[in-house]
Amino acid sequence: MKAIIAIAAVTALAANAAFAAQEPQALATGVCSACHGPGGRSISPVFPNLAGQQSDYVMLQLDAFRTHARGDPNAQAYMWGMASQLTDETMKGLGDYYAAQKPAHVAPDSVSLAEGEKIYNEGIKAQDVPACASCHGAKAEGAGAFPRLSGQHVEYLIAQMQGFQSGLRANAPIMLGVVRSMNAAQIKAVAAYAASR
Amino acid sequence: MESTHLRSFVASLVLATSAMLLAPGTAHAVPSFARQTGFACEACHTVFPELTPFGRRFKLNGYTIDNLPQVSGVNQNKEQTLQLNELPPLSFMFQTSYTDTKKAVPDINAGGENGNGVPVPEDALAKNGQILFPQQASLFYAGRIAPNFGAFVQMTYDGTSGQFGWDNTDIRYARKLNDNFTWGVSFNNNPTVQDLWNTTPAWASPFDQLSATAPMPGAATIIDGGLADAGVAGMSLYGYLFDAFYAELGGYRSAQAAAQINSDSNDVVKGTAPYWRLAYEHQWARHSWEVGTYGVQAKIAPGNGTGSLSESNEYKDWAVDSQYQYIGDDHMVTVTTTYIDEKQTLDATVLAEGAADKSQDLKTFKLGASYFYRRIYGAALGYFSTSGSHDALLYPSGTPLDGFAHSSPDSEGWIAELDWLPYQNTKLALQYTAYTKFNGGKSNYDGVGRSENDNNTFYILGWLNF
Repeated sequence: MKAIIAIAAVTALAANAAFAAQEPQALATGVCSACHGPGGRSISPVFPNLAGQQSDYVMLQLDAFRTHARGDPNAQAYMWGMASQLTDETMKGLGDYYAAQKPAHVAPDSVSLAEGEKIYNEGIKAQDVPACASCHGAKAEGAGAFPRLSGQHVEYLIAQMQGFQSGLRANAPIMLGVVRSMNAAQIKAVAAYAASR
Repeated sequence: MESTHLRSFVASLVLATSAMLLAPGTAHAVPSFARQTGFACEACHTVFPELTPFGRRFKLNGYTIDNLPQVSGVNQNKEQTLQLNELPPLSFMFQTSYTDTKKAVPDINAGGENGNGVPVPEDALAKNGQILFPQQASLFYAGRIAPNFGAFVQMTYDGTSGQFGWDNTDIRYARKLNDNFTWGVSFNNNPTVQDLWNTTPAWASPFDQLSATAPMPGAATIIDGGLADAGVAGMSLYGYLFDAFYAELGGYRSAQAAAQINSDSNDVVKGTAPYWRLAYEHQWARHSWEVGTYGVQAKIAPGNGTGSLSESNEYKDWAVDSQYQYIGDDHMVTVTTTYIDEKQTLDATVLAEGAADKSQDLKTFKLGASYFYRRIYGAALGYFSTSGSHDALLYPSGTPLDGFAHSSPDSEGWIAELDWLPYQNTKLALQYTAYTKFNGGKSNYDGVGRSENDNNTFYILGWLNF
């Protein structure tokens, strides 16, 4: 009981005393990590892993949430509010913070890996689907505005491609064209491969 | 610190908050948080008021995630001295309900006279099929007060009493030290209102709302609402480690609305009633599972005309609980359970000849499961049971509706519910409660001819949050 009282007394004072402006890292630890996990490695596939993500991509998405350009269901439910008061500076700070974190590792799913590898590296010529590797990189590490896919939740990648197809996530014009003709099995296969790179 | 000083310090600290913290009723979810955070309800709730893993973290962190334009203050040392929402995160709740018991309850004046002095027959019944409009109507302030400091404050108009009063309140300060450890302090007026899981009494899921007018079993443990109804204020310190281990320790003191708590007062908590909570939560993919334990130990002076606060009853409650959640895009499943064991030492009640034996016990078990499809259509089923020691004075026969059979407090039954949420903040529920035992018996349990299934209740609830 004494300990509780002592700490309560301290907190009563602390509540209206020192509080430094939130730096991006403090924001990531104090707020973002509630969903995206410590260091940007999340548990639930509802929330993407951000560890090792491209800084430019993170900034672009945060801006798309802020301007409501990205409107898939979870973007609206969580990120429209979350990004509404962020400054460009903070967005860049968050992008740089997550880019510097060690990416998550996703164990390969052997069943669909071969088909996924083929789609990822060569595309599907008959369906006019280009090779994913041409933008996302041979190791799916991403580049600038093109996101890292390696280490991402497979379920999250599938949900994004479904979002591009349905138009719910419309802030990536290139991807709208890429996934248009892909079927569910192809999406699942390439998501599993890309995540496991 | 000497114990008298300690007590008076605790008392003054608790009293300082008790002006704001008075007797609560039932539990609710709030669009205030949605306004403050910009999150849809589904971020924090599976279906309100049940919390998602993210909702638990929002609460743990003091309700402080905030995405509204701010009024700010800073001093010469660049310390933030104010961070206030430009618009207050207010919200409103309206509940309307319909209750139909299998057999209407006895008229409160049966066998006596009504307000005009006219005799009322022994077998007179009250009106069945009662509509409450509202059952409850509440105003909330829920959100950040200052950096790391937030509040959930509810004022409620109660449709059964016709009065406006203070309801659930949880004011908390929380600090996240790093990715692995968060600590905080909660000031609240109902043991378990500060809890993160929906297994504990204040926010029990899936049957968080029950009829306000239907007969309820006569015996319940004090942590299952009794302490809150007595009017208490409490403070607890909590910590959350590795996003998995939760520990909390606190105490509750009497905080009744009175100029003085004296020999006229009822159900006064003597000294400080310690409260504790331990829990472990594991999350994987879209699943979460919690297992925990909680309890309270309180000495309560019943008052009730015994004329003194010196005699008291002691209650020692110890409980275990567990919760499983699966939250998919289309399908959601929640299973909750709790078991409460209460040991009573009823010195005051025995002295007032209200019980023959001072040593009594009560055991309550609840199990519930719910399923929702796309957060729109849902169904829930639950089992509940309370059993305990027998005592002819404590559980007497012969009172219409409220009497006991076999000197026993045992009650048992099932609840089923269908839900429809056309919008995330609007719920329509159809609920049926079926008793297999009520106040110790089945047919003629009260000794005046009422049966356990006469109390079976059909309940419709319309619930709006905006």
